Order: sequence, then C-alpha cells, then structure tokens
Amino acid sequence: MLTILFDGIAYGMVLFMLACGLSVTLGLMNLVNLAHGAFAMAGGYCAVVLVNRLGVPFLAALPLAFLASALIGLAFERTLYRHVHRKSHLDQVLFTIGLVFMAVVAVDYVAGSSQVFVQLPDYLQGRFTLLGVGIGRYRLLIIVLCGVIAVALQLVLMRSRFGSRLRAAVDDARVAQGLGINVGGLFAATFAVGSGLAGLGGALGAEILGLDPSFPLKYMVYFLVVVTVGGTSSITGPFLASLILGISDVAGKYYLPDLGAFVIYTIMIAVLIWRPQGLFARAAAR
Amino acid sequence: MAELLAVDELRAGYGKAVVLSGVSLSLAPGEALAVLGRNGMGKTTLINAIVGVTQRFGGRIRLDGRDITALRPDQRARAGIGWVPQERNIFRSLTVEENLTAVARDGPWSLAKIYDLFPRLAERRQNFGGQLSGGEQQMLAVGRGLIVNPRVLLLDEPLEGLAPIVVDELMRALRRVIRDEGMAAILVEQNARKVLSVTDRALILERGSVVHAGDSAALRANREVLEAHVSVAQARPERARQPAVSN
Ligand SMILES: Nc1ncnc2c1ncn2[C@@H]1O[C@H](COP(=O)(O)OP(=O)(O)OP(=O)(O)O)[C@@H](O)[C@H]1O
Ligand SMILES: [Mg+2]
Repeated sequence: MLTILFDGIAYGMVLFMLACGLSVTLGLMNLVNLAHGAFAMAGGYCAVVLVNRLGVPFLAALPLAFLASALIGLAFERTLYRHVHRKSHLDQVLFTIGLVFMAVVAVDYVAGSSQVFVQLPDYLQGRFTLLGVGIGRYRLLIIVLCGVIAVALQLVLMRSRFGSRLRAAVDDARVAQGLGINVGGLFAATFAVGSGLAGLGGALGAEILGLDPSFPLKYMVYFLVVVTVGGTSSITGPFLASLILGISDVAGKYYLPDLGAFVIYTIMIAVLIWRPQGLFARAAAR
Repeated sequence: MAELLAVDELRAGYGKAVVLSGVSLSLAPGEALAVLGRNGMGKTTLINAIVGVTQRFGGRIRLDGRDITALRPDQRARAGIGWVPQERNIFRSLTVEENLTAVARDGPWSLAKIYDLFPRLAERRQNFGGQLSGGEQQMLAVGRGLIVNPRVLLLDEPLEGLAPIVVDELMRALRRVIRDEGMAAILVEQNARKVLSVTDRALILERGSVVHAGDSAALRANREVLEAHVSVAQARPERARQPAVSN
C-alpha cells in the first residue's frame, strides 16, 4: 500500500518534470505545443546514447540530457515556433502534431522501433525496506531530484526578478512589453528551460515509462491532463496535478488492472466537472 | 529649443482600420503637453502608437534625435518612452513592489522615490495588484511608468473614474513630477479644466486629426474652441471599466 504510494509519487514527479514546461509556455504565450513530448523523447534518447554507447556515468548524463533538449527546444523556438505564436490554436495544433509525427518517424528510422532502456548503475538498482515500506533506490533518487527542482522552480518564479518579469508577461504580455520587458526573449528562454526539463524527465523516466519512438504520442494525454487539471498560472498546480495523476495511475493499474487507463480519465472528468477551470486555477483570473 | 520627442505624420490604427490620419507633434525636454478630445477621438491610439502597440501605417517617431519608428515596444521603453496605460493594467499576480521592480531601470526614479511620491503604495507594498482600490491602482500605474526612468512619460487619462479626493492627490503628485522634477510628459484627458494648469501646451484631437494646437494658458481662456471640441463640464458619464477591486 505505502509502496504503491511511493511508486505513484515517483511516477508523478516524472510527469511533473515532463509537463511543467508545457504549462508555462501555454500560460505565457497561449501556445498549444503538442510536440512537447518530442523534446522529452530527445532527452531520453540522448541519455540512452550517452550511457549505453559512450559510457558516460548516469548522473552526468542527466544534465547533458537537459542541455541537449534545451538547445533543441531553443533552436525550434527561434526558427519555427516563433511563427505560430500569433496563429490560431487550430494552426498551432496542426503544426505541432505534424512535428510529433516527424519526430516519431525520425527516431524510428534512426534508433529502431523497439523499446530502449538506460543502463542504471548498480547503486541505483534494487530496493531496501524502511519501516516496512519497500523503497526502490532509483525511485527515491527521482523523488529527491524532482522535489529539489520543483522547489527551485517555485523559488525562481516567486522570488527572483526573472520570475516576476515572467509572471508579468503571463498576466499581460502587451503591457509588459510596452514597459520594457522583452517578451519574445523571455519566452524563448522559458521554452528552452521547459524543453530541457522535459528532456530531463525523459531521461529519468525512460526506466519507469518506457522509451520508444511513440513516446510523444503515448504520453501526450498525460501532459494535457496535468495542464488542464493543474492550470497554467503557477508551478504548484501542475505539481499537485502530476502527483494526483501519478498516484492514481499506479494505484489504478494495481488494484483495478482491467480498467487500465480509464481510472485517470474518470478522475480527470470528475475533477473537471467539479472545477471546470482546473483544480488550482486562480479564482476569476482576468 | 531642442526637440525631445517628435512625431511626424503618424498614421496608425488596429488591423486594417486607420484611426490616426497623420498626427504630428513635438515636445521639448521638460515640457508637458495636454492631449484633449472627446470619447473615441483617437487619444489612446496616439499614445499606444508612440508606445508601439498599435498597427502603424505611416509616419515617423524620433526620440532625442534617434529614429525609434522601427523599434519594438520593449526597445522603445528602454530608449526612454514611459507608459501609463488607460486601463492601468496592473500585473495582478505581482505584488505592488514587484510591479515596480519587475520593470525598474537605473535612474533618478528609484523605489524609495516612488514610495515617497505615493506613501500609500509603501503601505501596500506586499499586497497583490488585484487587491488595490482604483486610486491605488492608478498610483501604481504612474509609479510603474516612472520607475522605467523614461525621457518622456505618456499618461493616458490618469484621473479617469477616480473619486475627487483621489484626483486631488494624484494631481499634486503629477504636478510634482512634471513641474518640480521637470519630467517631460504627454497628459491625455477629456476634461480640459483638470490638466491645462499643469501643462505648457495643448493639442486637441478630433476623429484622428489635430484640430487645435497651442498654448495651454491661451486655450484655457478660449471657451469657443473648448466648447467646440472638448468636454468642459465638471460631471461626465462614468464609463464601464474593469472593477477596481476583485476577488
Ligand atoms: N482595439 C481596437 N480595435 C479596433 N478599433 C479600436 C480599438 N481600440 C479603439 N478602436 C477605435 O479607434 C477609435 C479611437 O479610439 P481611442 O481608444 O483611441 O479613443 P480615445 O480618444 O482614447 O477615447 P476614450 O476617451 O474613450 O479613451 C475609436 O473609434 C475606437 O472604436
Ligand atoms: Mg482612450
């Protein structure tokens, strides 16, 4: 029981890493980026190549996966995404879903369609028992690492000048820009960090979620659930939504295996009927 | 006198609609200009076109001799355009202090000086933008425009919809900024009586064109022109606007 909770939290933490960038870019630029999962996949495959082929230590591969996805994200933002900022949501959906299919096919061509794993070092394998709870070493690492990053993100957003400029731009991009905030540059930086975090999530989550070329499609639903339920106005909303999603998905698959993924859809529908603005949306924003 | 801001035959509007059909004006350092005109005559469009957030169809804008026509709004702000938008547009998820520090730039207008100008803001520094009264929001909007440390401050109907006692308080602050500190400013108003005593020159807009330009003092005495183009009545209908206090 507590072990399931523990695994669910680890799972939710990975989902948060994967989805938090999406919620910020959606909130900041009203940009629907369905290809967000492709940046996560890039980070995952980057870690696979670094660790399995080049023998880079696992813990060193994580920041490299972040960096790789952030750079790819930045390149795409500056060359492609900037042209769809002011387009309709339908255009954005069509454009980014196109990117997803291209990414799926490209990775399939280069790396093959079978599932890949990152070789974990010995010290991260296995479980130990603490107070009767089975604790996987790797999942513990995920929880600690993602927890630290989530706190750091929250501090940057709420305490730093960068964070206040970002929130100002989310509140009112036109006026923020008229008062000297370079909203385009801010967005590119945020997009890069969000893609980087997705890449980190892809690298960390390969073990738990499985990694193959269809990754961006398979987990698109999860990202969208996190964003709809958590809202786009804070870090805490998506964070709690990810935890709820992770725990209920793990518990659902354990206790009600026949229902499969329907557990999370049922919960999402219930939440959205109860709070159509999302669980943690600011009351009457705008 | 040297020119600080020069707007030359500016044509601007929204989408395909042209609202301003060739407006020119100039401002010297330390000078204040009133822009008057009734509802919907293009005052806000003029301000927003100088800020750079409308569609431009023609004309040029120079600041300190530098052509800023091609610059983005944020680059214009850094070049020295300060903006107090008509709807105030306080950042709601930022505190009062963050509203100021987020856009602050080095210069004489520091956080301490803004708080000295508006002591009410200092008391409310930890409150969020959405928790302020209308008057406090306006003070914050003015402070936020000042702390960018602009060469010229553009104020779009800063007295609109405020209680008389708050209007007096704001006018005192604006007089201090413009007259004592010598900040060059463009002050948009519908009600001429309120602002003509603070400004040096005045300009009247009608349907996107300048129909009168001249000395503030002379215009104040010229009932004929005022009655033809500007509302001089004390009371005017309150227009719908976003509620000052929410949540
Ligand atoms: N966002 C917009 N899109 C299209 N037309 C607009 C927009 N904003 C204003 N207009 C039109 O432009 C014209 C000038 O409007 P503007 O807001 O500049 O007037 P104003 O003089 O500031 O009026 P007020 O005293 O009511 O603030 C009006 O006819 C208005 O309908
Ligand atoms: Mg106006």
